[in-house]
Amino acid sequence: MSSSIFTASKEVFLDVVNHKDYVQLDRVSTIYQSLKDSIKKPLKMILLYGKPGTGKSMFLTKLYNDLSSSQIVHLYQTPILDEGEFYKTLAQDIFAIKYSGELNFTQFMKIVNKSDIESIPVVLLDEAQLYSDVLMEKIRLLSDTRTIKFVITLHKTEKEDLIAKEHFQTRIWETIELENSSPAELKIYVQKKLMKANCFDTANMFNKKSIHTIYKFTHGNYRDTNKLLYTLFDLYASYEESHQLNSIGTANVPTKLIEMAAIHTGLINA
Amino acid sequence: MLDIRDLEKRWLHYKIKSYIPHAVIALSIIVILSITLFVWDSSDTPEQITSRDKISSIEKELDIESIISQNNSSTIQKPTVVESTKPIVEKTATVVSQKMLIKPSLDFMKKMQSQTSPYYNQSNHNQMITPKRKKKILQAKPVIEETQEVIVDEADTKVEKEQAVEKVHKISIKRRNAKDDIAEIIQRFKKNNNPALSLFVAKKYYELGEYKKSYNYALLTNKINNEIESSWIIFAKSLVKLGEKDMAMKTLKAYIRSSHSNNAQLLLEDIRSGKFQ
Repeated sequence: MSSSIFTASKEVFLDVVNHKDYVQLDRVSTIYQSLKDSIKKPLKMILLYGKPGTGKSMFLTKLYNDLSSSQIVHLYQTPILDEGEFYKTLAQDIFAIKYSGELNFTQFMKIVNKSDIESIPVVLLDEAQLYSDVLMEKIRLLSDTRTIKFVITLHKTEKEDLIAKEHFQTRIWETIELENSSPAELKIYVQKKLMKANCFDTANMFNKKSIHTIYKFTHGNYRDTNKLLYTLFDLYASYEESHQLNSIGTANVPTKLIEMAAIHTGLINA
Repeated sequence: MLDIRDLEKRWLHYKIKSYIPHAVIALSIIVILSITLFVWDSSDTPEQITSRDKISSIEKELDIESIISQNNSSTIQKPTVVESTKPIVEKTATVVSQKMLIKPSLDFMKKMQSQTSPYYNQSNHNQMITPKRKKKILQAKPVIEETQEVIVDEADTKVEKEQAVEKVHKISIKRRNAKDDIAEIIQRFKKNNNPALSLFVAKKYYELGEYKKSYNYALLTNKINNEIESSWIIFAKSLVKLGEKDMAMKTLKAYIRSSHSNNAQLLLEDIRSGKFQ
């Protein structure tokens, strides 16, 4: 096993949102398909919510890439917090109107109402929990015109259930929740991800026990899993560099190494 | 490149920390179990005491017999001697015939033997005796008596085993000793009114064929403590020997009704069938 395999395997788990890294899992695929179907429905708003690291951003990126060829779709991964800037960006991207001065909600609504676009443009807003309540209210009013469709993603926190918030309760017509993976799904996720990058040897190193140990620390959270496995392969690379690879073995991923990676990433408080 | 050494150290630390709760749980389970066992054990002690109370008469009997046996080792040893020297006893004249008469009450003698045997084992071999009994013996009698008795025992047994010709003389010696001892025990009985002493006297008189006396002492024992099985058996046996078979049966029936004694039942059946005369 050459050193490049561990380095390559490490790179697979870099925490970046890339639609090419999207791993097709049965449950996730079903959810994705239902999201795609919801886009076709005459819904005002679609809410995608879940805990951090459940793949919401990946979902939006994948959706953007899949829809961009067939319809007008705009993805905003970073929230535009300034209200005027938000309207100006939308006016420019959707309606191709470049506004030099200040653009307020009334002016933007006029632009929207005068719009002669045949198909309804889809606006994908990531990290929507960062938008102010006032702006969210105005987004709701924009969606009521049925000239722009919004798909927004939210973090579902333990302390407050965002769906219960008034402006979502009455106006969201479709809500999709994303959850952490199960141990079986986690195994498929890890192995598929590695095999996609042609890291077959490292993919075969994961057995039921090692996956169970990983699951114990990450609870099936994709972001935590990526972090843990990145460190794990970093550890392998370090052992290899110091010529100690034989002491840990490469047939299976030892629990000790997973625990060491978990300590390094902070998943274990040691 | 990661600092493997530092991570391994932290991992070892984590492992030790993760085993601490398990060790604590295991330790607490052990402690709880041992406490439970201790409590269980201590809760058993009162039961033992109560059961001991129930058989107090038997225990007392045992103690007294062991005390008596110290002074009269030759007489207590008699059952074993009778068994081993059976042919010789048969050869002798009148004395032998008296001993033959004792035969029906051999069960009783065996019982006596079994009760006294731990003492002999202790005195001769320091084996087969429970610490509890040991304590009782030590408390009940002076040490001088013990040593005296041991010497007599050994002397008697050695003489009996080595010199078969002198056996007749030995029997007479024993009898003399027995009579002396009985007198001594009667004196002690008069002082403390202990039913175990009177029972012993009754048994000894029965063995010597003095059934009237054995009847009287058994009666005295029953008056003091009416729950001593062997006393009732001696009482009934003495009655049979005195020709009061019906009276003996009636007494045994009454005793069986109250105590459900198996030995009494067996004796009753033996008297009824004529096995015991």
